[in-house]
Amino acid sequence: MAERRFDPTRLPGFATVAVAVFVLLYLPIATLVAYSFNGGDSVAVWGGFSLDWYGRAWANETVKAAALRSVVIAACASALATTLATLAAVGVVRNRRMKGRAVVYMAINQPLMVPEIVTAVALLIFFASVRQFTGYQGLGYLIAAHAAFCVPFAYLPISARLEGMDATLEAAAADLYATPRQAFRHVTLPLLTPGIIAGAMLAFVISLDDVVITEFVKSAGQDTLPTYMLAQMRRGVSPEVNAISTMLLMVTVVLLTAFFIINKQTNRGKQ
Amino acid sequence: MDEATRVYVKDASKRFGHGATVVHALADVTLTIEGGSFFTLLGPSGCGKTTLLRLLAGFETPTGGRILLGDQDVTALPPNRRPINTVFQSYALFPHLSVAQNVGFGLKMQGIARAKRDARVDQMLALVRMQDFAERPVAQLSGGQQQRVALARALAPEPRVLLLDEPLSALDLKLRKEMQIELKRLQRETGITFVFVTHDQEEALTMSDRIAVMSAGRVQQIGTPREIYAHPANRFVAGFIGESNFLPVTVADGAARIGDHRISLAAPADPGPATLAIRPEDIMLEPGAALSAEVTDTVYLGNAVQIMARLEDGTQIALRQPATIDLPESGQRIGLRLPVEAVQILEAE
Repeated sequence: MAERRFDPTRLPGFATVAVAVFVLLYLPIATLVAYSFNGGDSVAVWGGFSLDWYGRAWANETVKAAALRSVVIAACASALATTLATLAAVGVVRNRRMKGRAVVYMAINQPLMVPEIVTAVALLIFFASVRQFTGYQGLGYLIAAHAAFCVPFAYLPISARLEGMDATLEAAAADLYATPRQAFRHVTLPLLTPGIIAGAMLAFVISLDDVVITEFVKSAGQDTLPTYMLAQMRRGVSPEVNAISTMLLMVTVVLLTAFFIINKQTNRGKQ
Repeated sequence: MDEATRVYVKDASKRFGHGATVVHALADVTLTIEGGSFFTLLGPSGCGKTTLLRLLAGFETPTGGRILLGDQDVTALPPNRRPINTVFQSYALFPHLSVAQNVGFGLKMQGIARAKRDARVDQMLALVRMQDFAERPVAQLSGGQQQRVALARALAPEPRVLLLDEPLSALDLKLRKEMQIELKRLQRETGITFVFVTHDQEEALTMSDRIAVMSAGRVQQIGTPREIYAHPANRFVAGFIGESNFLPVTVADGAARIGDHRISLAAPADPGPATLAIRPEDIMLEPGAALSAEVTDTVYLGNAVQIMARLEDGTQIALRQPATIDLPESGQRIGLRLPVEAVQILEAE
């Protein structure tokens, strides 16, 4: 008789550990969501159900401005990061004989490996001198910084999609009189689109909730939603932050769900 | 024959890798493919036939040598600038486009106006009998239907040469036979030069005007199917196309000797040791003939019987006879005649 394959679900105590992990992961989030509906003004004492805090957050002009700023930065940064990631993926995946492929791969994924605080300090110093030199004060610094750390997240689904794509299709396009540019525009790009959308959404979510780099790079009056919330917390926690967090959570959940659905359809399309 | 669609390959070679790991995929191949003909590159896998096809399409550039289309040197042209189209082994249809969009792709890239393009697409779909599928996504098609779309797509821009890379290998036997006839018809109707790559000798024999048999990166023989079957140039060709017996002989005075037996030859051959090749179906049974053999086994094949026998010097020989003859028993001695016109003298091993 063949020996049974190693199956972790058969280990003693597996169920207990699994339940503990899920409780630790989701109980705090559930609590946060629950207290966003708190009628009282404490984040620890329940004072009945109410949508008050949502109303207050919605009416708060500072919150609205920060939210809008977050969305603008995330949209610009993810568009930029996705474009760069697409070009990088096509360059790396389609040039198998390229020298220094490993180095390029490392460079692309650098933001995942270098501690974020190091990048933050480096950007703070670098942008300070740029600011002095150019006098530019706008959101461009934040967009550039966010785009930089979003590239690896956008790169992953795009390169995976490209690896799974039959290179013969590009040869067929060239055979049918498409110039390299036309082949990219009419064959590679349309087939890559699900990966690009997935990459863009991932980059958007990552940019939306960044605190560390934003905190270092932003100028006065450039608070994003997460840095605004951090500032509020310093003054004492109110359920308004819970309400904002819950809304942010909803946006993230919707985007991630869409990401998984697109990925699933992509994989089905491959079979 | 059409001058502009003649393909001329001169001393083409292709090496992959370098140093100790270099692979000679193609070694100094020279051949002419006449315009408007059905030309087949035949050989086992790894013989260089697909590499040669990729050189013709422009997906690879040769390490040495030249490729001419008519009197134009196309050696350095990229695929999109060669009036040569390919039907890929995997078909390589664009999964995000409909059948009609696939067929119209080449025309669109050439910048041909919409109305003219649509008319041409309709015409091509009619040619391969796929009119009813124009708006379907290609993923919904069967293998045979995808094959037809791939053909229509490659033919739509009216290439001067059509390359076909083992296009029938993914189809089942019945469909393959149908497509063989279909391909011949398309070649005749369009008058385009077809260069067909296959490892299937039967496919090559039934479809081709001329065949180049390839092995180890070299062309072993070029000729009509009849020439190649009846007069193989060497042992590889004789063994790869159909079956052959190879008997060690000594050539002297215009005759080949097997032991004491002497077989006069139709064509002159160099004296000395040689190999005599003869097809199993060409050997005649002749009671009392000077060349005799002992039957070791018989195999019933339905429309024929195969008799395995051993010559006096111990060489095994196979002969094929109509199923209507009285089967000899194992151990029985039979007389054999090797007709002079069926005998080929090849180099000794």
